[in-house]
Amino acid sequence: MKPPHLADRILRFFCSLDQLEEIQGDMHEEFAYQLRRGSERRAKWRYWRDVLGFVLSFALKRRSTEYSTTYLTNPTMIRNYFKIAFRNLVKNKTFSAVNMLGLALGLACSLMILLWVQDERSVDAFHANKNQLYRIYMREYFSGKMQGVIWTPGPLAEELKKSIPEIQYATPYEWVSDQTFSVGTKVHKQATNSVGPDFFKMFSYKLLQGTADAALNDRNGLAISRRMAELFFGSPEAAIGKPIRFDNRTDLRITAVFENVPANSTLKFDCLRNWDAFVADGNDWAKGWGSTDPLTFFMLRADRNGVPADPAKVEAKMQHLLDKFNRDEGKPFHTELAMQPFHEYYLNSTIKDAHMDGGRIEYVRLFSFVAVFILLIACINFMNLATARSAKRAKEVGVRKVVGAMRTVLIGQFIGEAMLLTVCSVLLAVLFVGLLLPSFNTLTGKQIELPIGGFSFWGVLVGLTLLTGLLAGSYPAFFLSSLSPIRVLKGSGPSSGLKGNTQSTWFRQGLVVFQFSLSIILIVGMIIIYRQVEYVQTKNLGYDRENLIYFPVEGDLKKNYEVLKTELSQLPGVRQVSHMTASPASNGSGTEGISWTGSDPNDKVRFTPVGVGYDFVKTMNLKLADGRDFSTAFPTDSTGFLINEAALKVMGFKHPIGQTITWGNRKGTIVGVLKDFHFQSLHSTIRPLIAYLRETRPDGNVLVRIKAGQTAEALAQLETVCKKLNPNFPFTYSFTDQEYARQYQSEQVVSRLSNYFAFLAIFISCLGLFGLATFTAEQRTKEIGIRKVLGASVVSIVGLLSQKFLKPVAIAIVLSSPVAWWAMNQWLQGFAYKTDIEWWIFALAGALAVLIALLTVSFQSIKAALMNPVKSLKAE
Amino acid sequence: MKRGYLGEFEEIVLLTVAVMEGGAYGVAITHEICEQTGRAVRLNQVHAALERLEDKGMLKSEMGEPTAERGGRRKRLFTTTAYGRRTLQEIQEVRESFWAKLLNPFRPATSL
Repeated sequence: MKPPHLADRILRFFCSLDQLEEIQGDMHEEFAYQLRRGSERRAKWRYWRDVLGFVLSFALKRRSTEYSTTYLTNPTMIRNYFKIAFRNLVKNKTFSAVNMLGLALGLACSLMILLWVQDERSVDAFHANKNQLYRIYMREYFSGKMQGVIWTPGPLAEELKKSIPEIQYATPYEWVSDQTFSVGTKVHKQATNSVGPDFFKMFSYKLLQGTADAALNDRNGLAISRRMAELFFGSPEAAIGKPIRFDNRTDLRITAVFENVPANSTLKFDCLRNWDAFVADGNDWAKGWGSTDPLTFFMLRADRNGVPADPAKVEAKMQHLLDKFNRDEGKPFHTELAMQPFHEYYLNSTIKDAHMDGGRIEYVRLFSFVAVFILLIACINFMNLATARSAKRAKEVGVRKVVGAMRTVLIGQFIGEAMLLTVCSVLLAVLFVGLLLPSFNTLTGKQIELPIGGFSFWGVLVGLTLLTGLLAGSYPAFFLSSLSPIRVLKGSGPSSGLKGNTQSTWFRQGLVVFQFSLSIILIVGMIIIYRQVEYVQTKNLGYDRENLIYFPVEGDLKKNYEVLKTELSQLPGVRQVSHMTASPASNGSGTEGISWTGSDPNDKVRFTPVGVGYDFVKTMNLKLADGRDFSTAFPTDSTGFLINEAALKVMGFKHPIGQTITWGNRKGTIVGVLKDFHFQSLHSTIRPLIAYLRETRPDGNVLVRIKAGQTAEALAQLETVCKKLNPNFPFTYSFTDQEYARQYQSEQVVSRLSNYFAFLAIFISCLGLFGLATFTAEQRTKEIGIRKVLGASVVSIVGLLSQKFLKPVAIAIVLSSPVAWWAMNQWLQGFAYKTDIEWWIFALAGALAVLIALLTVSFQSIKAALMNPVKSLKAE
Repeated sequence: MKRGYLGEFEEIVLLTVAVMEGGAYGVAITHEICEQTGRAVRLNQVHAALERLEDKGMLKSEMGEPTAERGGRRKRLFTTTAYGRRTLQEIQEVRESFWAKLLNPFRPATSL
């Protein structure tokens, strides 16, 4: 017979622990006594009464704390945890430093990448109407293929507003060009563009003067930036309403001043002209549907609650919008319109499967992966070193367990220690980032600042700390807390409790393999990216881009071109002079309106047209596959064409010279075939090119081939001649090779960044290896001593110690090579012209990894091998 | 009053502990008091008194052997301290001196 259970529970709950035993014992004894004396019911009733009596008396007085047990959050224990953690750090200075440095470097690297990614994502995201803003792109179907084009016909913006009611605003956006402006004696070139009157109503470029409605309504109006206003007028206030002379031929009036365009805007301009004025200014093509040149942006109408119209519906409506504009001679036109959210273009600028996807986003993804990789490597270091050192802490764990620590408490302690170290590392990492950010900015061409004041930044830091601490601390914590106190405490040697613990050895080896795999992937990536960038920069483009200068045909140069050419040709530093309607390094325009004998009217091919002057082939240093260059000796050349080999392939002529080509109302014969050359970046294949003679009214750029090694003299001479012939315009010029290299800026940045990151990854991995080697050497001191006494040579001992570390590295090479190959192959798909991935790259990366690992380990192993055996053996 | 004040119930508990000579613990004391005085004393009252006496320094205690009846729990065995014993003695002396001064000692009330 037992006393009532519930009453017992109540007693236990209210009674202080130190009294419980005695009181409960008394109660039970009394119960038994009562049971002997009387009925069970009576005994139970008395029991209840007594319990309540006790509970009441307990409630009236305080509980004694003198004998309370310790618990996890007891201040004494916490102080003890901190003390032990600190002593451990100080005792193993090398380990702690290696650990902290590795983690801090990894964290700094991840933080930096995080900041960069955030910055990349913030581009174009500042527009208030960002969810309603879209850009148009075209899908062109020809010869069974599909091609994405971002250039659109000029009248498209107006047409969109007219025929799709969901579209509230739309504007064309021309290409930015440097134009000359003058006020009094001040003459400057400014980045100029032409947009529709809706522009400021759509985009959040802050207006300092003028209103969004009126800024671009006036044909003679001009909206300028604060910078430009200060340059010409001193201040935005002074600028508004003032006249300004454009291109030394038209007088415009300042109708608005906007704040300088922020760095995270993809649209960059100093001043904006009215679109109609631009069209009237000799750009009649922009009235027709045949030519494509400007970009087109639009804004969806929002309902009263601010919910924008359904984009899918709008896209469906616009898809066949172009069909009704029989662009050429009633032939069906295979172009569809599509749209993309405006702010997504920056990261997704290539077209894949009929949608805009890929581009910079791939770098964002790539670097996000790299960030995770490096953080992982650093965490693994931490885990490795902590488990390796567990032998030293095994005794502590044993004693703690014997004294009564529960496993959860121990796990908490070790994860806490990891957290402590992580917090220190994070602070160190923030310091690193702060110091390195300026050079990182120059490298990437960004203006990233450390958002010290940002709430989210600290949130991310705390999150990163927790994540890293947990990740890095979890294995050691679980491993150490699982140790059996008997095994740990009974043994005599420092590691006897852990001897033969093959599982943890395997785990450590596995981690090293993983770490080195990641490092090798990064090294392979680094080599291939470097080779591709080299390839791009040294590739024979089919023309000579060295010593080729070009400058715009503007102002009086248009009518004086003949004189200019004659005068320039006579300069000692100049070899050849010509001109072309585009820039030599990048020509993206296109036309479908070309037909030839035997061309299929239903199969539109997009040609890149270029108007050129005499001596074009010689100036560019192009090679002719057939025929000849335009020449003054043949008056019929004024309607002649030069085509490239790609165009010849499309046309399919066996004997191209003399064949007739029609382009609009221009009909002429082919006079020569150019060998293919790259007039666009190597991301795209060489397109069909058609060159026509445009000697009478030159436009675009004057090309000047100068003599090697006389650049400075030639430039001075050029400037004198231009100033004389075109006094109202400042002389500006570009080097073709520099402009060419500019197209690969992001690749160059990626190349350099991947160098740093690969280096960092291997460095952090080596820190870990170094730590492990130190540990092993320390653990095997006696073994080495005995081996030496028995006659082992230094070399054999170094070999013995190194061998252990080479195996995981070798496995890592085998595992990581296919992964690296796959990843880099994916990256190279983005180039139409690319280097090959060769086997020796993997061999090199592997050899590098082995060499570095060996160097790292050998420092410790040589040290251990050289040690005097007397010293290591006498201490017992 | 020089000595620590003792309530009547405390005095009885203290006396009982002294009488029981080492075998004094909660239940035993309670039963002893019940038997000697015929009062319906409760365990928690005795415990409270014991605790107060220990606080006053008149009792000391130590844990004894566990018994099966108690579910393997130990007893807390109380013994009087010198201070406790002296206090009892003084109380008795005070009483006796009063009894001695009684001119007409009480006779058993045989006839009334």
